[in-house]
Amino acid sequence: MDQLTNTLRGDGIALSFGGIKVLKGLDVEFRAGEITGLIGPNGAGKTSLFNCLTGAYRPQHGSITYAGTSLDGLPPAARASKGIVRSFQHVALCPDLSVRENVMIGVARNYSAGWASAFLPLSAGRKERQDMATAADRVLADLGLADSADLMPSELPPGTQRLVEIARAIVGKPSVLLLDEPAAGLNNSETRDLMKVLRKLASTDLVLVVVEHDMDLVMSICDRIYVLNFGEFVAVGTPEEVRGNEDVVRIYLGSDDDE
Amino acid sequence: MTQRLQDIAASSIASWIPVAILAALPFIVGGSWTFTLGLCFANSIGVLAVSFLVRYGGEVSIGHTFFTALGAYAVGVLDTRFGLSLWASVPLALVLGVSLGIAFAWPSRNLHGIYLAVTTLALALAVPEMINNLDWITGGYEGLYVSTPLVPGVEMGLQRYYLGLAMLVAVAAAVARFRLSRQGMTLLLAKTHPAAADAFGTRRVWARIAVMGISGGIGALCGATLAFSGSTVSPGGFTFWQAIFLLVGSVVSFYGLSLFRVLIGGAFVTLVPQLLSASGAWIPVFYGLSLLGMILLGHYLPRIQKTLARRKGGA
Amino acid sequence: MTFWDTLLYDLFPLIWSGMITGCLYALGALGLVMIFKCSKVVNFSHGNVAGLTAFLVYGLSSGVLLSLSWGMAVIVALLCAVAIAFLIYAIISPLVFESDLTSTIATLGFGLIAQGVTLLLFGADIVALDLPIPRFAFSVFGLLVTGYDLTVLAVAIVTIGALFIVIDYTKLGIAFRAISENPFAAEVCGLNLRSVHLFAWVTAAILGVIGALLIVPTTFLSVTTVATFMLQAFAAAVIGGFASLPGSLVGGILIGVLMNLFTFYVSPEFSSTFLLGIILLALNIFPNGVLQRVGGSRV
Repeated sequence: MDQLTNTLRGDGIALSFGGIKVLKGLDVEFRAGEITGLIGPNGAGKTSLFNCLTGAYRPQHGSITYAGTSLDGLPPAARASKGIVRSFQHVALCPDLSVRENVMIGVARNYSAGWASAFLPLSAGRKERQDMATAADRVLADLGLADSADLMPSELPPGTQRLVEIARAIVGKPSVLLLDEPAAGLNNSETRDLMKVLRKLASTDLVLVVVEHDMDLVMSICDRIYVLNFGEFVAVGTPEEVRGNEDVVRIYLGSDDDE
Repeated sequence: MTQRLQDIAASSIASWIPVAILAALPFIVGGSWTFTLGLCFANSIGVLAVSFLVRYGGEVSIGHTFFTALGAYAVGVLDTRFGLSLWASVPLALVLGVSLGIAFAWPSRNLHGIYLAVTTLALALAVPEMINNLDWITGGYEGLYVSTPLVPGVEMGLQRYYLGLAMLVAVAAAVARFRLSRQGMTLLLAKTHPAAADAFGTRRVWARIAVMGISGGIGALCGATLAFSGSTVSPGGFTFWQAIFLLVGSVVSFYGLSLFRVLIGGAFVTLVPQLLSASGAWIPVFYGLSLLGMILLGHYLPRIQKTLARRKGGA
Repeated sequence: MTFWDTLLYDLFPLIWSGMITGCLYALGALGLVMIFKCSKVVNFSHGNVAGLTAFLVYGLSSGVLLSLSWGMAVIVALLCAVAIAFLIYAIISPLVFESDLTSTIATLGFGLIAQGVTLLLFGADIVALDLPIPRFAFSVFGLLVTGYDLTVLAVAIVTIGALFIVIDYTKLGIAFRAISENPFAAEVCGLNLRSVHLFAWVTAAILGVIGALLIVPTTFLSVTTVATFMLQAFAAAVIGGFASLPGSLVGGILIGVLMNLFTFYVSPEFSSTFLLGIILLALNIFPNGVLQRVGGSRV
């Protein structure tokens, strides 16, 4: 079983808006079975890189492949059908849907009951809804959110909303999972729960990339870390290597020369 | 102010009571009331079409007379020229409404908010022109009289009433069922977070086309019902102002999709012109004031509620 | 040879008169675009309020309401237009900051009320409003130029010129441009959003009255002619991109010319359908920022 076959790879990804170079020719290799961390100060380009990987942005240069096949030119919906899923920096749950229904959306693309079932009380539609709800309930229970399944997102604290978003991302058994600041807004115990979930998720088939600012979380669960600053990688390596890297320390703590 | 759409979907015996009452009404009230209520049911379907576009698409239309005219003339033409009853013309109206909703959605797929509203305005203004100039089909100014019965033998007045009621209940129930469907849920997400919906397989263009197609279809059903329950089809019922009144009905009912709220909107649109028919000039004034009133109410209500809650709970 | 002669005979006058009416559509469009630029609201009451004030000029000068001189009637009507603009903005302003779609629908409400008031005061009759426009005509290279044409051109040039001077050179104008560009930043810098909005609404009202008064001699004054003028001003604003003041000028003239050509060469019966087609076409080909760029959205 070659772990490298299910790799999400980007070569020379360059993205600019107007005259501003957001990503300056990045080479990335996100391997299945690993948890990869993507860290850097605000504005470094982390979310932009995610957007390129999911197809929301089209980089001016570079190519992106997954498991050997090119993703270039594929819009986000098409990449979703290849199992490439992400969560968002700002919680993107639908306020009109219950928590369970929001999570059900994560598997919607696997179902295809037609328009007649949408408007008429046919058995095909009812079965579909039942199946989606079961899958959603299972994931919510895994994350300890079973009690919130019938609530509306607005009734939940922001940290829990974030967990619901992650539930939505994982319910469809994705092959690539890109999490954008999953721990933002979580208190310490919620963050520990999240770390447990993420460790459980990591499997030989899943490419898991996490953008985070919480250093404890990153250092503790990631197998490899990419450090991004001003659109370029400053360091790539294991947590120990990155922690000891002078440039990384300077970016986060500043240096005495900065006056 | 946002009613849980789920609540409408819950089918309980309680929601059938008003329907039962309405079904019994013709035996209690007089003939002219029966006729007016039939029209009211038809207009309620039109209000539902506009509210559907707002709730599922986040867009406002002031051009739905395009679809109501389509449905109405489908029924009228099949009736007067081919003697076909609603059994043939309602499916045709639905197909036309959905197809033309999709056809309009495509060139306007990247328009949002104000820009889309202005485009629907142009649509509404073009409708009377098209009706009057295609008079070899539409009968022009004179209009068409719809008389082919739905069920042979039953008195026409009763047929007009019950068809309207049945159509309204059926459409409202279908829309309620839609809320629970996969397509309905993904459309709701696409409305509030289009990028997230896109990331989960619901393309924006698909969402826009679907919503407009459905809204157009419902609009056409409104027109078909108007034609039968109102017995005549003429250009006067599809002016630009009618399109605006449908929007007013929708706003007045706070864009509700339930049978009850939609009836309020439909009643508003039907009864106000009737009650004010003596002094026609007051109709636009009344509509305008109601529209403004409802919007301002919706805006200030949360604040009023908060102040009241504070007074009750606090010092 | 005769084909080209008739083409010139018809085409030039059509283009010329199209340009003249186009100036008026431009005036209407400018008002719409000014309001839209600084507050993102499309003022659907524009046409009906303008029509109401035009009717007021008629009513105040012809004896229906009062018998003032024409000049006084115009001044009183302009004051009414400004007052109405103040009133509308006062009621709408909290909504503007909440949602532009809601405030746009609210302007629909005002439009309905204005239409009702017009009907109540003046009935649904068509009236002929006589404006003191010099009645003369002369020929320039075979083209007939009337006093009306020159009046419209003169008024349009003066009004639009004054407007551009205000926007480019006065403090208020600079505030307007700043707020149109970035309302949040402008407010942070201390600019008063409400005064600028008010400026836009009042200016739009004045422009609307001028446009409505000047279009009346080409047709009768009735409630429906004003609604049609409204749609044409919209189309002009749409072509101009709804975000560009000079664009409104270009749009207005284009619409004026295109409408004239269409009415003459094709059919006068389908003018609204034609406008619908133009609007759809323009919004798809020159969206001017309506379309989302692929790299654009913040997720």
